[in-house]
Amino acid sequence: MAENDIAIEVRNVTKSFKVYLDKGAQLKERLLFRKRSRYEERKVLRGISFDVKKGEAIGLIGHNGCGKSTTLKLLTRIMYPDSGSINIKGRVSSLIELGAGFHPDMSGRENIYTNASIFGLTKKEIDARLDSIVEFSELEDFIDNPVRTYSSGMYMRLAFSVAINVDADVLLIDEILAVGDANFQTKCFNKLREIKAQGATIVIVSHALGQIEQICDRSVWIHEGLIRAEGPPKEVDLEYLDFMSRRVQEKNRDETGGAELSAESGGKRWGSGEARITSVRSYAADGSEQNAFRTGEDIRLCVEYTVKEPLEDAVIGFGVFDMNGVQCYGTNTRIDKIGGLSLGNSGKAVITLKDVKLIGGEYTIDLAIEKGEGIPVDYYRQAYRIQMLSSLGDAGIARIDHTWDIQR
Amino acid sequence: MSTIKELYAYRQMIFSLVKKDLRGRYKGSVLGFLWTFINPLFQLIVYTIVFSKILRNDIPRYYLYLFVALIPWIFFSSSITVGAASIISQKDLVKKIYFPRMVIPISYVTSCFVNMLLCFIVIFAVIIVTGAGVNFLALLTLPVIMIVEYIFALGMAMIASAVTVYFRDLEHILGIIAMAWMYLTPVVYSKKIVPDRYLPLFNLNPMTHIIDCYRTVLYEKQIPDLTALLWAAGLGVFFLVFGAFVFNKLQKHFAEEL
Repeated sequence: MAENDIAIEVRNVTKSFKVYLDKGAQLKERLLFRKRSRYEERKVLRGISFDVKKGEAIGLIGHNGCGKSTTLKLLTRIMYPDSGSINIKGRVSSLIELGAGFHPDMSGRENIYTNASIFGLTKKEIDARLDSIVEFSELEDFIDNPVRTYSSGMYMRLAFSVAINVDADVLLIDEILAVGDANFQTKCFNKLREIKAQGATIVIVSHALGQIEQICDRSVWIHEGLIRAEGPPKEVDLEYLDFMSRRVQEKNRDETGGAELSAESGGKRWGSGEARITSVRSYAADGSEQNAFRTGEDIRLCVEYTVKEPLEDAVIGFGVFDMNGVQCYGTNTRIDKIGGLSLGNSGKAVITLKDVKLIGGEYTIDLAIEKGEGIPVDYYRQAYRIQMLSSLGDAGIARIDHTWDIQR
Repeated sequence: MSTIKELYAYRQMIFSLVKKDLRGRYKGSVLGFLWTFINPLFQLIVYTIVFSKILRNDIPRYYLYLFVALIPWIFFSSSITVGAASIISQKDLVKKIYFPRMVIPISYVTSCFVNMLLCFIVIFAVIIVTGAGVNFLALLTLPVIMIVEYIFALGMAMIASAVTVYFRDLEHILGIIAMAWMYLTPVVYSKKIVPDRYLPLFNLNPMTHIIDCYRTVLYEKQIPDLTALLWAAGLGVFFLVFGAFVFNKLQKHFAEEL
């Protein structure tokens, strides 16, 4: 690789923060309570190195607190590394804090000048870009009104338009594409692609892996201050999702101590009580217990129950709801024509959900045992919770398999 | 060198910060921009009463003698006292976005400087109205004196603003230092009455020479002592380089300290 192909060079960068337990910022306090200025050193980055080629787009991924935002801040030179070096070639524009230095009493136009000047543009350069900034922000009619009269959406649009029109060689982005409505987001996204096509280098920090997969050539997964994996987004993101689902699962188990159910647990339940659901567990296709799954995986639900009085013609059912309470699916043994169940002893029902195409998000599951023509024996609302993880940014409830065939 | 190049690239930011500061400073007050003049005028009246009516002296036209020294002094002292808090007052910017941090003290000192230039309009008005007159040849050196003072003030402001981030008391300590410094500089009195054995000490103070030069040009209507001006310029440049060095060292952790 030729030397001048590299736009960003990061070498063995470490960074730690002092977390003061009780800091005295004044002379008096410093002198009197010298012992108090104790601090803990928290190592956020433990030595990371990577290169970004000119025109390449990379995504930094990792869970909260892993150091990816710190890395971005080091790249923008808001902070400096404790050791190691960072070299960036060309003009840097950051979409980290939009609208920095906006003055509410000044007009949109004046704020464009102030804000763009903070990116290091001269008046001449701003003059040349003014029209495209205003046009991109779609604020033509309001541009001479004071910014304080803007809605927050308008404010962000203006700020984003300035930042993206700087014509930077290197663009640093932190969770930015949550700007404005869906239309404007699409517009921003297209603009990013355009900028990339023009040869700009882009670094994105995001939790929306779908966005990263769409725009980045490479993902860098930072875990506890070190690079854990890097490579094509599709591969690294999957690895990361796998890791996260295991983590979420462990955390959930810690919180609930398994999924033992009791009458007091969160959800509402009612029914005549001849039989009761006692526990719910979920397993992945490979048999490992977990409750976070990737879209498209099989999920096996094991529902254990105890029987106090034997039941003839019992029906077991379940329903899946998203976080808005919308039922995504529901069925029971009667609908599925399993026939009347006679429950005499305690036992368990295993429900295998094939190829679950629910999009990313949290879901709750209702479980029910009924008798006869739908008389609840034990109806348990929100008995269980699962999490779906998806790297795509698709929308709706469930993914519909589809193919594209574009003819031109 | 690269710092200078970068600052040049960010000149528009300095310009817009100065503009914002000058426009915003007196926003909402009834007299608005007039405060730029009223404040020094009242100081002038008080000092004139105290030092020519109560503590009598034999300096003719004492008000003018004082005025031509007081305005430059106010520029210097406000540069370091206001400048000290400059980084802290812009912490939202500093924490969020990259730009050469020196832009902040530079724009604060520059806006104080512009204020001084505006006050000079009043000085010239007084000179003309009272018929004191000017020496045009000597006036040519005035911009040089101003630039020397600007350089020195900027150097001090850089040190003050950077250190204040880590040590907030400095802002208040500087208020006391500025007052002491004023009385240790021949602003309200003449350098001639300083006892000989203290003179070397006074001569170390660049402000002694700078104030003296202003006075020579505007009050005595003479071309100032160029060696004194050169000495002040040398010290000014030294402090600017030293201040920039200190600032550069300290600015790396601004974002974490704020």
